[in-house]
Amino acid sequence: MLKTVFEKHLNILDYSLSSLWRRRLKNASVLLVFAGVIFLLASFQMVTQALTQLAKDSLENTPEITIQRMSAGRQEAIPLAYMDELSTIFGIQKVVPRIWGYYFDEANLANYTVMGLDVSAMPFGKKLNLALREGRFPEREGTGESVIGQSVYTAKDLKNRRVISFFRPDLSLKSFKVVGIFSSIVDLLTSDLIVMNIEDARDLFAIAPGFVTDLCVYVANPMEVDTIAKKIADRLSDTRVLTRSQIMKTYQVVFGWRSGFASVCLLTALAAFIILAWDKASGLSPEERREISILKILGWETTDVLAVRFWESFLVAALAFVIGCTFAYIHVAFFDATLFRPVLLGWSVIYPSFQLIPNISVDDLLLIFCFTVIPYLAATVIPAWRCAIVPADSAIR
Amino acid sequence: MRPVHLLLAIVFVLFVADTALFFHARIQRHQFYANKKILDITTAGLGLTDLCVSTEARYTRHPAVSDKIVPFMDHPGAIEHFPTGSFWAPAFP
Repeated sequence: MLKTVFEKHLNILDYSLSSLWRRRLKNASVLLVFAGVIFLLASFQMVTQALTQLAKDSLENTPEITIQRMSAGRQEAIPLAYMDELSTIFGIQKVVPRIWGYYFDEANLANYTVMGLDVSAMPFGKKLNLALREGRFPEREGTGESVIGQSVYTAKDLKNRRVISFFRPDLSLKSFKVVGIFSSIVDLLTSDLIVMNIEDARDLFAIAPGFVTDLCVYVANPMEVDTIAKKIADRLSDTRVLTRSQIMKTYQVVFGWRSGFASVCLLTALAAFIILAWDKASGLSPEERREISILKILGWETTDVLAVRFWESFLVAALAFVIGCTFAYIHVAFFDATLFRPVLLGWSVIYPSFQLIPNISVDDLLLIFCFTVIPYLAATVIPAWRCAIVPADSAIR
Repeated sequence: MRPVHLLLAIVFVLFVADTALFFHARIQRHQFYANKKILDITTAGLGLTDLCVSTEARYTRHPAVSDKIVPFMDHPGAIEHFPTGSFWAPAFP
């Protein structure tokens, strides 16, 4: 019994494949467009998942608490005197002040991130030389030294030169000796970065003595981070207190929302395609009408014709799904999502050369499948039914 | 040869290709984790909070330490105009 049913469906599958082959031009074009839509949708999903995973893996060691001072809704320099207030909170292990900001290079319209801090006071600070392609980190006491990211090195066209100059706010020039260049391994984190001594950063940005940009707080017991953050927010009411978990959460949301926004655009394309598929499938040509009526005269039942139409739609949709997802992976993994780079980078002049590692889970594939294959099958059900109920005598009428 | 056999051949080719890509992904991930210690040192040593993906605007370079209002802070009535701003969610610290 089971064998008979299997044999019957195998024959129906054979017939469906022959039928697809007979109208190969039409079916190939539908397959191509459908695979293209799935490719775009899957590529976006893979890019956003890869970036989310990358953020999750890379930002595990951000400061436990970051404190910024807010004034009139904007971030302002925070007084170093706040550190005295923090020292009274039990559980805080250490507080590291930082000065950081952006430097707009008018020569090549690039934005650099300039960061000044005492790296020896930071966790793993003494091991930071491992993140360099060449050179070392600036000495604690040494001034006029900096470490730059790969993109800064390229944008400034340094080649063998090891001196870079920036303008202070009063347009006087400040020169730095480049004592180190970040390795490409950490490009995703340091590409636009210029790291220097905190006093050099203060001089470059003309920040008043006794003020810094933010404070990095490290606590003895990680379980107490939220409690200590709340205490800090209570004591220093004009500050914004960011915890590591909030930063991690931001990155889960940022790319999730991004993919959602892009998905809306792509789903519009998918909807347009399904309307096209409906239109194509519902328009019964005289040849199709004759074919079905002949089949019915030969003894085929409506369910058999429906099965043929189902297999035809399913084969096109499933093949388009597999081909679309395969090429999406190739696009993201081997071509670094070239099609979406302009969207990702916008007007950025410098950007890292990071490699995306698609993070594909069964959930993602199922999501793409549900958004593409199932609507397509649903869109072709009614046309298939209309096709299957063609009366047997319509060919000879 | 029956058409089903041809279909099976196509499915087999796709299966082999996808299996190869699956292992490629695993190798890539393995290589990434081999360098993860250096990423950890960099993040911890510099206290970094953000990925350097887009450098065109402050709020896309450092979304984790930016306010959701930042894109509109340039002047009263300012509108957000950077291309990537359409795709980056505002940060909710």
